[in-house]
Amino acid sequence: MADDIATLIGQLQLDPQIVMVIAIVAIMVVGAVIVVVASRPILDIYPYLNPIAKVRARKGRLLNEKQMTEILESNNIEEVSSYLRGLPDYAPYLSEYSIEKSLDTHMADTYKYISTIVPNEIKDSFDVLATKADIANIKALLTAKEVGYSNEETSNLLLPSGSLYNDLDRLVDANSVNDVIAGLDGTEYGDILVDAIAKYEEEGSLLPFSNALDKYYLHKLLHSTKVPGNDNTKAIYSYIGTQVDMDNLKLIIRAKADGLDYDAVSPYLINEGYQIREWKLKDLMESDSVEGVISSLDGTKYAEILQEPLSNYNNGASIAVFENALDSYFADYSHSLSLEKPLGVGPIIGFLSGKEREIKNLKIIARAKREEGFPEAKIQEMLV
Amino acid sequence: MVEIVLGTALAAVGAGIAVGFAGLGSGLGQGMAAAGSVGAVAEDGDMFARGIIFSALCETQAIYGFLIAILLLVFSGLLGGKPIDNVAVGIVAVGAGAAVGFAGLGSGMGQGIVAGSSIGAIVENDDMFARGIIFSALPETQAIYGFLIAILLMVFGNILG
Repeated sequence: MADDIATLIGQLQLDPQIVMVIAIVAIMVVGAVIVVVASRPILDIYPYLNPIAKVRARKGRLLNEKQMTEILESNNIEEVSSYLRGLPDYAPYLSEYSIEKSLDTHMADTYKYISTIVPNEIKDSFDVLATKADIANIKALLTAKEVGYSNEETSNLLLPSGSLYNDLDRLVDANSVNDVIAGLDGTEYGDILVDAIAKYEEEGSLLPFSNALDKYYLHKLLHSTKVPGNDNTKAIYSYIGTQVDMDNLKLIIRAKADGLDYDAVSPYLINEGYQIREWKLKDLMESDSVEGVISSLDGTKYAEILQEPLSNYNNGASIAVFENALDSYFADYSHSLSLEKPLGVGPIIGFLSGKEREIKNLKIIARAKREEGFPEAKIQEMLV
Repeated sequence: MVEIVLGTALAAVGAGIAVGFAGLGSGLGQGMAAAGSVGAVAEDGDMFARGIIFSALCETQAIYGFLIAILLLVFSGLLGGKPIDNVAVGIVAVGAGAAVGFAGLGSGMGQGIVAGSSIGAIVENDDMFARGIIFSALPETQAIYGFLIAILLMVFGNILG
């Protein structure tokens, strides 16, 4: 072999030094190819390392089981409040607002914070999540105007977070629901609210506005991920898509419990769905009852999740049992997603779902502790 | 001015590969560990010292490559002394440089990923420090293999001594 190469070089009449240089250049080229190939996974991981450390620091501050039990064992709302005042994440809010407003504002600020630190490839989804505060504020403002709250009461309802906060705060002085909607002209919510006015006037309820805002939010959320993309965007799509499916399911179950038909609810469903596609949603809505909806889900992961709550519902429980079961499932599903990409979007999803669960549970405890003598066992059952 | 013969030129290539690739791996690794550390320090100022430790771990590959490169330069006559006039010995020098360079590249990148991840684990749970150090030290072994082989190549390839 070596002799053959030497003969070949001899036939080409190349200087051995030139051959050596060519060999070295070849080695360098191969080395460069190895570097590029080996560096590619690093380039995928690199943008996530900084945000991952930041969210894991916050994840480490999430309330553990012992702390949650201590809060649960508080005698009244004041004890809950003073416990949370001792925690650095909640203390700044509780010195200014009520418990519920503090929790909601903290959650809204968390969405905002996450949207500022995540890498660009997934930023759009978190930007949409951060608009939750705006939607909550619009709903609160419309409710306050419908009920006839004073300006001060209305102002107290608004979360001091979200990109529209200043605009909405100015609309506190508006005289009616229609004035609020007129004031939102030019924002991304202006047109969808105007479209819902006719239904609002016909029904005399704010539900059309609320449903239209929810539908717009979920539609935007579902379309915020770049799919097909890499594993990180796929995980985000799965996380968001499951949320959309669950919101659709909650809406359908609620509609069936109220005896509404497909035509009444379909405008508010996100038709694209994720795993529950349009034809399946129609199928579910054509069921006669809540039981029919659950049995139509056979073959999907949701059928198993909703079986146990169905027995409780049939025994007189409210439809909240379905919502709790779906929320618990979503928390577990998010946790499993968070373990799939430990050096990507996983820890971010893990933290966010952990924080959402914590806030939801704290709100349940706070609400229960306002009522004297509310049994702890009952609160425990309500926790996600 | 040293007269550079082919053997010496090959040793110079070996020195370049040694420090170049080892430095690349070390730099990428240190960049990842430091990116994680900055994120951790932003949330918890007490993480600064531990962040420095994990970021510094990825420095070793560059040191191994640097040492081998210096030895090659010294013993090939580039920094004075006797030049390598045998082409075969020059090729051994390239091999020594490639051993420590490529081993350092892989080791540095691997260590950076683990160190960056460990920082995230420690800032979430303080008890993870010792275990994080152990996991982060594991990818060091590949760089040590490369370094040892480079030394052996130089000793038995008539470069050292």
